[in-house]
Amino acid sequence: MATKPPRSVNLLANLPLNILLYAVLIIPLAIMIYISFTDWNPAKGYDWWQAPLSGINNFVRMLGDVRLGAALGRTIVFVLVVVAVEFLLGLGMAYLLLAEFPGKRGIISLIIYPLMLPWVVVGLVFYLLFADFGPVVNVFLKAIMGETFTKTSLLLNPTIGFTVIMLADIWQWTPFMFLILYAGLSAVPKKFIEAAQVLGASSRTIFRRIQFPLIRPLAMVALVLRSLEAFKVFDTVYMITRGGPGSTTETISFYIYMLAVRYYDMAYASAVSLVLLIALAIVIRVFVKYAIERGGA
Amino acid sequence: MGVASKVLRIVAIAIFMAWLMIPIVWTLSLSFKPYLEWRAPHFWPKNPTLLNYKILFFYQREIAGTTGGTALTKPMITPLINTLIVVGVSTIIAVIIGFFTAYGASRYNSPGPFGLYFTLLTRMVPPATFVTPVLIYYRMIGFLDTQLGLILLYAAATVTYSIWILKGFIDQIPREWEEAAILEGLSPLRAMLRVTLPLIKSALVVSGLFIFLMNYSEFLFALVLTTRNAVTLPVHLTTYVGGSGVLYGAQAACGIVASIIPLVIGYVIQRHLITGLTFGMVRA
Repeated sequence: MATKPPRSVNLLANLPLNILLYAVLIIPLAIMIYISFTDWNPAKGYDWWQAPLSGINNFVRMLGDVRLGAALGRTIVFVLVVVAVEFLLGLGMAYLLLAEFPGKRGIISLIIYPLMLPWVVVGLVFYLLFADFGPVVNVFLKAIMGETFTKTSLLLNPTIGFTVIMLADIWQWTPFMFLILYAGLSAVPKKFIEAAQVLGASSRTIFRRIQFPLIRPLAMVALVLRSLEAFKVFDTVYMITRGGPGSTTETISFYIYMLAVRYYDMAYASAVSLVLLIALAIVIRVFVKYAIERGGA
Repeated sequence: MGVASKVLRIVAIAIFMAWLMIPIVWTLSLSFKPYLEWRAPHFWPKNPTLLNYKILFFYQREIAGTTGGTALTKPMITPLINTLIVVGVSTIIAVIIGFFTAYGASRYNSPGPFGLYFTLLTRMVPPATFVTPVLIYYRMIGFLDTQLGLILLYAAATVTYSIWILKGFIDQIPREWEEAAILEGLSPLRAMLRVTLPLIKSALVVSGLFIFLMNYSEFLFALVLTTRNAVTLPVHLTTYVGGSGVLYGAQAACGIVASIIPLVIGYVIQRHLITGLTFGMVRA
C-alpha cells in the first residue's frame, strides 16, 4: 500500500472532495470559530466581520447557562435510555429469531421497515398517536379512566412528552440493533455451539460463554454508532413537542436550533456548537481508531 | 426445546411485531378517515374517504367537503419536485466524488487517514453544530432558499457514506488486475476507469440508493435554510398545522405519501442497509 500515488489519481481523489468540503463545511466552520469570539447578533444591524471581539465571554456564559446544562443532561439521559433499551430488545429478538422456522425471512424483512422511514414521519406518527384526538387518549385512557374522561393534552406534560420522544426513537432504531446483532449471532460457528451442547452446557451458559463474547466487538461498534446517532436527536423533538412546554423537553440539538434560528444569538450559538464539536471530535477519534484498527469489524 | 418455551418465543415475536406494525397501520387508517372520525375510537374508517389525500395535491378552495380545518396548505407537488431534484443531484455528486476518493484511499492511501477521519467526523457529530455556520455563510453568499445550496450541503454531508461503502467494495477487488492493466500500457487513471469502475457498478448503485435514502429524510437543514422556493417534503410535512384547525388526517396522509419512496428504495437495498448505516464497519 505504500506505493506513491500517480498524480492523476491523487488529484482526483483529493481535489473534488476538498473543494466540496471547503465550499460548504470548512469555510463556514472557520467563520463560526471567529464569530464565537465576537458578540455578533444580526439584529444589531451590522455584519459579522464588523462585530467587536468579545474575548471568551460566550464561553464563560456557557458555564452559567442553566438551560444549556438541562438540555445537555436531558440528551445524555435520552441516549443512555434509548440505546440500552434498543440494545436489549434487539439482542433479545436476534436471539429469538436465531433458530430456523418457516416465514423467518419474511419476518426479518418486516422488522427492518422503520429504519427506512424518514425521522420526520416517525415523529409525526408518534405525535398523532399521543395527540388529543389520538388512540392513546381516546381508546386506552378512556378504557381505564371511564367514558367521562375526555381531553387531556398528554404531550403538555414534560415527562410524558419526553417519554414519547424516547418511544419514537426506540421504535425506529431497535431494528438497527437487531440487524447487527442478528448478523453477529448467525455468524457464530455452529460447531462451537454443538460442541458445548455435547458437553452438557445449558443454552444460557452457551449464550454467556460463547455467543456473547464472540459478538462483543460488533456490539461495541453498534453501541457507539447508535449513541452518536441518538445524540443528534432533533426531528422527533420538533415533531412531537417542539421542545416544549417551555424548554422542558429540549435536547442539545434543539437548543442550538433555537439559539441560532429563533433568537438570532449567532455568537453564542457558535460558541456552543464549537465546544460540542471539539468534545465529540475527541470521542469519535478514539472510537474510529478502535473500529479501524480492528480491521473494520 | 420444550413446547412451553416455543410458545413463549412465538408470543414474544408476535408482541414485538405488533409494536412495530400498529403505529404505521393506524396512521394509514387515519389517513382514510373523514373529519368526523378522527377522534372516534374505532381502528378502521367507517366511511373511508380520499379527501385527506386530495388536500395534499390541490388548493383547499378547489375541494368540496369538510377537510377539518381552515389551515391554508399548499399542494405538495412543488416540495416533491424540489426534493427529487435536490436529493437526486446531490446523490450523484456524492457518489462520483466518493468513488474517486475511495479509490485513492483504497489503492494508494491517498487522502490519508486525517482526510477520511474528517469526513467521518462531519457525519457523526450532530448536524445542529453546523446549522449556525452554514446559515451565516449561506446568507452571506446568497444561497439561502436555493436548490443549489441544499444540493452542495447534502452532497458534502453524505459523501462520507459513498467513500466508506465504496472503499469496502474496492478493497475486495484484487490490485493485481489493475497492475496487469498498467503493465499492458494503460495509465493508472485509465486502469481505474476501465478495470475497477465496471467491476463495482452495482456497488455504485447501492451506495447511491442508500445516500438517496439519507438525503431524502434530511430535515434540520431543509427547515433552517429554506422558506419558499426550495422547501423539501419533510419541511412541507410540518405545514399542516395552523389556522383554526389542524389537518390531522392530511398530516397522516402526507406522512404515508412521503414514506413510499424511501420504503421502495429501502427494500431494494435491504441487504446493504447495515453496511451503509455503519459506514461499512459492519457487513451483513
